[in-house]
Amino acid sequence: MDNVLAARALMGVSLGFHIVYATIGVGLPLMLMIAEGLALRTGEELYHRMARRWIRPAGVLFAIGAVSGTILSFELGLLWPRFMKFSGPLIGLPFWMEGFAFFTEAIFLALYLYGEKRLSRRALFLCTIPLTVAAAASAVFVISANAWMNTPSGFHLAEGKAAGIDPLAALASPAWPHEAVHGTLAAYVATGFAMAGIYALALLRGRRTRYCRKALTLTLAVGTIALPLLLFSGDWAATFLAHHEKAKLAAAEAHFETGAGAPLIVGGWPDPQTQTVPYGLKIPKLLSLLAHRDPNAVVTGLDAFPPDQRPDPRLVHPFFDLMVGAFFLMALAAAWFWWRRWRSGDFPADRKLLAAVLVASPFGMIALESGWLVTEFGRQPWAVMNHMRVAQGATPAPGIALVFFLFLAVYLLLSVGLLKTLLRRPAEVQREERDHDDA
Amino acid sequence: MTTLSALAAAILLLGVIMYAVFGGADFGGGIWTALASGPRRREQQESLFQAIGPVWETNHVWLIFVVVVLFMVFPAGFAALFIALLAPLVIALVGINFRGAAFAFRHFGRENGKTLPFVAEVFEISSVLTPFAMGMAVAAAAGGSIRLAGGQVVSGTWDWITPFTIGGGVVGLAICAYLAPVFMTLRTVGELREDFRQRAMVAGWVLGVLSALEIPVAVLSAPVFAARLPAPRTLACIALAIAFGLAAEGCLWRRLFRAGQLAAAGAVAFILAGFGAALYPDLILGQLSIAAAAAPRPTLTAFFTVLPCGVVILAPSLVFLYRTFGGAPNPENPPDDFRV
Repeated sequence: MDNVLAARALMGVSLGFHIVYATIGVGLPLMLMIAEGLALRTGEELYHRMARRWIRPAGVLFAIGAVSGTILSFELGLLWPRFMKFSGPLIGLPFWMEGFAFFTEAIFLALYLYGEKRLSRRALFLCTIPLTVAAAASAVFVISANAWMNTPSGFHLAEGKAAGIDPLAALASPAWPHEAVHGTLAAYVATGFAMAGIYALALLRGRRTRYCRKALTLTLAVGTIALPLLLFSGDWAATFLAHHEKAKLAAAEAHFETGAGAPLIVGGWPDPQTQTVPYGLKIPKLLSLLAHRDPNAVVTGLDAFPPDQRPDPRLVHPFFDLMVGAFFLMALAAAWFWWRRWRSGDFPADRKLLAAVLVASPFGMIALESGWLVTEFGRQPWAVMNHMRVAQGATPAPGIALVFFLFLAVYLLLSVGLLKTLLRRPAEVQREERDHDDA
Repeated sequence: MTTLSALAAAILLLGVIMYAVFGGADFGGGIWTALASGPRRREQQESLFQAIGPVWETNHVWLIFVVVVLFMVFPAGFAALFIALLAPLVIALVGINFRGAAFAFRHFGRENGKTLPFVAEVFEISSVLTPFAMGMAVAAAAGGSIRLAGGQVVSGTWDWITPFTIGGGVVGLAICAYLAPVFMTLRTVGELREDFRQRAMVAGWVLGVLSALEIPVAVLSAPVFAARLPAPRTLACIALAIAFGLAAEGCLWRRLFRAGQLAAAGAVAFILAGFGAALYPDLILGQLSIAAAAAPRPTLTAFFTVLPCGVVILAPSLVFLYRTFGGAPNPENPPDDFRV
């Protein structure tokens, strides 16, 4: 395995793994805050119990998130030392701020997780506020570093080196606002739907308790409130791409030829050789309308870029469609649920409806991972857009393939251990939980 | 410029010290879980397990702190160190992951009355492996075996293994093994406390002897580093390390546990400060100076602007955390007189 490919594969696997736990780390604190707040406000003990029951498995997930995040911070140096030598002075600032946010998050998580017997109920609730804020801030800062790679700012090149360095301008790179908003909202949607799915499954399996109904309603509500906002931030992102990251948009939409009145292509398998998209569904003029608010506007295609500077639409377009498709799937399931709930004025006990929520539940996470793949594959071959190619940033140290397989084994072992720990819980614990559901 | 980068290097050293003192004690907990002995073996392991729980993730963040300071403020040093020290850093990283995951799995399993096989062993082995690899990596910066030419690393993948860096790994282990029982004396009572007191005193002498032995090893294996030791600032750090170490032994002898904890932390801090003082003004001994590794001035300015803002949030939160979980280690069963 070629060194650069091994470095890319390892970074990709590491990020793909970490994103799941980081997402839960952003989304779950909000749920804890809402549940503890509801418990204090309404005096309904059930919500407090709910939050305390979440926090135990969540503690394990947070720990995996912390250690897999450490892998990433090391990999920046182990795999991409030349990229970091160039970018460190520029994107160090968001990581530095993220460091403090993560510190705060870890502290208040520990207080909430372990503090039940040592802190008052009010203090426990108050701990969830800095926890939620710090978690969201972590996400927003880390995303700034990614945004800078997409739309680098705050420097100019002089003899191959960055000069005129302005870390604040690098922090606030053009792509940051929409990426930060879209990414953070996506974490809330992904967590909300994933948790709702767990309760839909419990209800389908016959655990028809008030606890499960309340928990499903609460988690799905958080997911559903964030979902339409995702539509707006996604549209914001797409119009931004149309102006500032044209190659990425063209690859995402499998749009080969620059032209006016561009159609939107749904599905299909883009073929760079023939510049066509077999099996794709074409909707006339829609891409121009969405990207430029004008059905006859010119949309830049992949042909506007030299062949060695084009992202591969086969890696971008399918994930883009998967992300958008996942959105509509979740929107349908959520709409059905809330419509039925509104009509009947009570929790809808329909099995088909619960099955729909269950089916939709992993798609928040799937959409989030797909969106990340779109933004990363869509920037290829660049690590820092138009300034540094991925291969130029990689380590000269040999043997990265070995490191890749080593960490692949680490991730596999962690995943197996995690699944065994979380899923195979003794029957008496499950029975006890069920008995407590309606206590 | 030079002053700013030297100041930033001091912050970096402070991060390393904080990680060693707090994170190191957690690894030491794993080491003493493996080394637990005597009639109260189970109780020793149990109290270590409970003491680590609420704080290890927070303590672990000091490592992230160090890495971030390194790549933001000293990007050239970060790149060179991570290329030259690929192997020990990968080993440490694997250890960090298994230690953290094993602890989390065990903790969750405990709450649910179910444990996975091998998890305890993985926790203990990775608690030994990680500080050793980390100690080697830190020592390698001063070992003289990393060579740069024109800013590029030219030394080989395994050049960092020398008697001096192996000594660094052993001292790293000894630091962890020393701090954990010292801190535990404040969190236990009765015979269990006496167990930890004895172990702390023995580990203190072991750490002192091993650190002292590292000096003749340096003379033989890292002569450039050894030549820098007689500088006044380094000698002052060594003297303070010895003074704090002896004070800690005295406090433990007289059962002044709170003072003993502070003195022990001081001894470890000054061992590392002495290392830093001998390395100064270099980041990689004889190859890359702190000033040459530093990022441009605007980055340093941004770094020092964010620092106080971060500290204002961080310091009170940390104090609150340690106050809440101080005292008897079991978070589910706080002492009667305990109120926050």
